[in-house]
Amino acid sequence: MAKIGVYVCHCGSNIGGVIDVSDVREYAEGLPDVALARQDLFMCSDSGQELIKQDIRDGKVDRVVVAACTPRTHEPIFRGACEKGGLNKFLFEMANIRDQASWVHGQDPEGATAKAKKVVSSAVGKARNLEPLEEKYVDVTDAAMVIGGGIGGITAALELARMGHKTYLVEKDPSIGGRMAQLDKTFPTNDCSACILTPMMVEAYSHPNIETLCYSEVEDVEGYIGNFKVKIRQKQSYVNWDKCTGCGACAEKCPGKAPDEFNEGLSMRRAAFIMFPQAVPKKAVIDMNACINCAGRTIGSEPKVNAKTGNPILAPCEKACPAEAINRSLMLDPNGTIKEIEVGSIITATGYKVMGKENFKEMAPDSPNVITALQLERLISATGPTGGKLLRPSDHEKPHTLTFVSCMGSRDKNFHTYCSRFCCMYMIKQARLLKEKYPDLVINMHFIDIRTAGKDYDEYYTGARDMGINFFKGKVGGLDMLAGDKLRVNAYDMENGETIEYESDLVILASAVEMSDGTTELAQKMGLQFCGSKFFRELHPKLGPVETAVSGLFLAGCCQGPKDIPDTVSQAKGAAAVAAVPLAQGKVKIDPTISEVVTEKCSGCGICEPLCPYGAITMKKVDGKPRAMIAISSCKGCGVCTSACPSSAIQLHGYMEEQILEQIAALTA
Amino acid sequence: MQIDQKKIDEAVSTIIGYGGTHILDCVGCGACSAVCPGVKAGFDVLCRKLIRKIVTGHLEEIIEETSSWGCQACNRCTEVCPQGVRPQEVVFAFRRYQANELAFSTSSITSQMNLFETGHAVFTDPKANRKKVGLPEEPPTSAYNEQAQKEIQTLMNNSSMGELGLF
Amino acid sequence: MEQIGLYLGCNIPLKHPDIEQSFRKILPELGVEPLDLEGASCCPAWGTAPSFDLQTWCAISSRNITIAEQKGVDIMTGCNSCFGILSEAKHFLEDKEMKKKVNESLSAINRTYQGTSDIYHIAQYLHSKVGVDAIKSKIKYSLDGLKMATQTGCHTLWPSDVYKIAEQNPYEPTILKDLCMATGAEVPHYSRLAACCGMGGMRSTDIEKSLKLFKEKLISIKEETDPDMIVTTCSSCFMQFDMSQLILRERGEIDFEPIPTFYYTQVLALAMGFDPSQVAAISQIDRSKIIAEMQSEQRLVKEVA
Ligand SMILES: Cc1cc2nc3c(=O)[nH]c(=O)nc-3n(C[C@H](O)[C@H](O)[C@H](O)COP(=O)(O)OP(=O)(O)OC[C@H]3O[C@@H](n4cnc5c(N)ncnc54)[C@H](O)[C@@H]3O)c2cc1C
Ligand code: SF4
Ligand code: SF4
Repeated sequence: MAKIGVYVCHCGSNIGGVIDVSDVREYAEGLPDVALARQDLFMCSDSGQELIKQDIRDGKVDRVVVAACTPRTHEPIFRGACEKGGLNKFLFEMANIRDQASWVHGQDPEGATAKAKKVVSSAVGKARNLEPLEEKYVDVTDAAMVIGGGIGGITAALELARMGHKTYLVEKDPSIGGRMAQLDKTFPTNDCSACILTPMMVEAYSHPNIETLCYSEVEDVEGYIGNFKVKIRQKQSYVNWDKCTGCGACAEKCPGKAPDEFNEGLSMRRAAFIMFPQAVPKKAVIDMNACINCAGRTIGSEPKVNAKTGNPILAPCEKACPAEAINRSLMLDPNGTIKEIEVGSIITATGYKVMGKENFKEMAPDSPNVITALQLERLISATGPTGGKLLRPSDHEKPHTLTFVSCMGSRDKNFHTYCSRFCCMYMIKQARLLKEKYPDLVINMHFIDIRTAGKDYDEYYTGARDMGINFFKGKVGGLDMLAGDKLRVNAYDMENGETIEYESDLVILASAVEMSDGTTELAQKMGLQFCGSKFFRELHPKLGPVETAVSGLFLAGCCQGPKDIPDTVSQAKGAAAVAAVPLAQGKVKIDPTISEVVTEKCSGCGICEPLCPYGAITMKKVDGKPRAMIAISSCKGCGVCTSACPSSAIQLHGYMEEQILEQIAALTA
Repeated sequence: MQIDQKKIDEAVSTIIGYGGTHILDCVGCGACSAVCPGVKAGFDVLCRKLIRKIVTGHLEEIIEETSSWGCQACNRCTEVCPQGVRPQEVVFAFRRYQANELAFSTSSITSQMNLFETGHAVFTDPKANRKKVGLPEEPPTSAYNEQAQKEIQTLMNNSSMGELGLF
Repeated sequence: MEQIGLYLGCNIPLKHPDIEQSFRKILPELGVEPLDLEGASCCPAWGTAPSFDLQTWCAISSRNITIAEQKGVDIMTGCNSCFGILSEAKHFLEDKEMKKKVNESLSAINRTYQGTSDIYHIAQYLHSKVGVDAIKSKIKYSLDGLKMATQTGCHTLWPSDVYKIAEQNPYEPTILKDLCMATGAEVPHYSRLAACCGMGGMRSTDIEKSLKLFKEKLISIKEETDPDMIVTTCSSCFMQFDMSQLILRERGEIDFEPIPTFYYTQVLALAMGFDPSQVAAISQIDRSKIIAEMQSEQRLVKEVA
């Protein structure tokens, strides 16, 4: 017969302020198989834990129930106490009488006490049937993968590499660098973005422990912490990167055109192109959507022959390439190639994108002189379409009056309710840079309110006021298109309580930050979850900001939520540190609360196999008959198969049938 | 300015009761005021400023305010509001508060009487003009339809408007 | 022929029956049979029940809607205010509680609101149900070379979430522009296209404030497009443009002659060859010259065999 010890916690006034703890304790004492029941002000304190340990050592109890707060935070503590006392730590059960009783029924102490008793009796019922379980260990592949080669991904990869771990850096674009590569200068110090980023890009690309896979995307992820098997699709670039020297001759001769993504559509690039001058790796790709197959040179075709000379007639790109990296006669697979790698942990750093102006109908999106802030970065960057000169897109004239509009699509129930966090700062940055360069510019900035929380940030903002930049509190209501491609700004000055109306030459929209394209698919492949704001959900908003619900999978940068470069870098370094833990340990623990097939009961119907979200179940032949088998390293203990099995042949350890039935019996008594 | 929580609660619940359901969602961004033709024309206690007055408990103080009657009900404010406040509904809730306290211009009483009697808020004898353009002198509306007028009178008499004694 | 309930409102049948007549002339030609909604009343206008009590507003509006429901037709109106009021009432009546209360009121007059009839503005109906091509095929006098400034009016644009048909971009409305262009006319953009004309509650509360707003819009029209006429699909806007230009002119606040203003279906009726003394007979601004121009012989569209 079990000897159950019940320990009821006051949790200061969290529980004790509502629930009659002594009453609950007395009630517990009377439950069948309960050997003793105690109460304490803080069970998680050293002295509280000592009670449990001593009772175990004294042989008074062999099952432990703590009635206190949530197992999410406190189960490990009490399991630890059991273990130290000499008891298998899975002979422990928690009754959450805080979240489930005192917090939700604070107005009704009597009812809360009665409910607490039920919750305790249910936990006792389960504890009576608990069985000891053993943790297992598996070896770890000492390698990591970082998805996304922005500043977040580069930083994380570099840290892992410096710690000595082989790291794959997977980037979907032809070059690493991410959004930061598109920026001109960076707040709050105004150092040139490329000057601080390019050396890191080069270091990452040339680091002996880093293998950079550009123009690549994750195709499939299998496995679990310590042992992930990843398939990576390397997209077809139609250029032999082993030969390409990045000279750009192909782009110079290519007549195919498409909007330049790097310049945010403000200029055109060629079908054969290098992403940007400081690209790392500096390699050309051919964009087949824009390629016009000059000289009839579709991929894999035989070249026509010049009747006079007898020479083959090649497309300009092939002809121009001095390194012979382009050969359109080769039957290259448009789907690219698949590379398989094995890693022990994964960091996702897929960053963000900004909303396009077409979303904001009241903001005259048809006017060429309404642009997003990211477009302005390109417009003032030395590598941008105007060579860094501020010229209006409509007529390439220098504007006189500029308008900045905050919170486009952020803090807005029609789009995103969250604050995009760095727009206030980059708008002030852009205004400051422009005012420094062109002191006669009139710059009007419209904010709901100005958010500059960060080290040295508010000083940066007040400095902008000193420079003669005009700040207005109040959201812009809309723009009217005027002759000469000017815009009429309709705003409101909240301080004065008056409407504002004036003509502007260029309007810059601080459009909201959103999750990058393709992240839903990526999340499905990896089992990642999203928060309400559609960014990846971290394990715990305060205490687990880089971890996720999938162990071995970590987050860095804007894919977890909007953040500026300093915060992205900090988080990336944190993610690298936690991602290195399993690699450094060399082994990972397997939680024993997982499912197991009782082979004798299994009828081999196979219903469970496709249901498992983790692909942990396979049908194997046992004595010539098909029987389900569960791979312990893949099972996450979700219980889907257990509840689906028509023969009740699958048991979930820690949630056995008799344990659950006793819980239900206690709750419905 | 005094902050009196009781007055605030009263003001807000009055306006919510009259249909300004989402008033407390306002974050005071001012987008509504930026596009409001009323504010632009000088009826300044509309949109954000009106909401501000109410959520600070200054409802009684502005009962004689005429700005609300300059509202065009155009709902530009509703369209641009990032918080789903539907400011026009707040303006109309405020009007209803004013109207039910009989704080509105006497000239508008004629429209209520017209509506009650003919079913038309604006009524002018149309016969000559209609004949001139080749239409039957009497339009098929409630204006010349006793049954219709009775129905409207029943609806109005039975409503809370009927209790104000305007018609 | 497609049947539709023709909801008249107040201003059109009582003050501007020529607009009503223009509906009655063009619709059958375009394959639409307007059915009278006998005994329909005021929508009720913004300054009446809506300013007193939400439920009374919904009761009077729903009574009007039930007349169409009984005939099994949708509703079409030419008045923007009516369109806005009826659409919003319908939106409020989606709330079950409100619908129940309103039906309790309606039971006293033996009516029940169902919510089965949709509300259309005549411009929306012409644009989406009849179609620009069908209109083009009925044009007798091409208005090619004439310049029109359009005035859509507020209540078909915002709030876009309560209307059956919404503009692609309510801040750059194109429905009326497309309709005008179907007559062959040119419709240039002007910056205050979506601005309010100042009619309505604003005008009755403070005419000076209303005129200030109106003037701003008028100047934008004149200076940026210098049109031959102003064309609107809002009967209230029509009245503002027709009355207030003369006031501004008299006061010397504008230095140009008032621009002739038409309701859209009047323009269409004239282009389709109907008699101006029936479809465009009542206005304060003298429109005779431009009407003669519109129906001049050289504009006759040659029948193509
Ligand atoms: C206009 C503007 C100005 C700014 N100015 C400043 C400033 O002055 N100072 C500052 O601190 N911050 C600034 N920021 C913010 C800064 O851009 C971000 O903090 C930073 O870029 C975040 O880095 P990241 O690595 O998280 O994301 P990103 O820079 O977005 O990098 C993500 C990378 O992942 C890749 N990727 C995405 N999806 C996949 C996938 N499925 N598979 C593989 N790869 C993928 C992308 O191609 C990209 O290369 C500014 C932002 C904007 C919009
Ligand atoms: S509905 Fe009234 S308050 Fe709202 S913008 Fe129009 S005029 Fe202003
Ligand atoms: S737009 Fe909406 S949130 Fe902003 S001030 Fe107006 S009502 Fe408030």
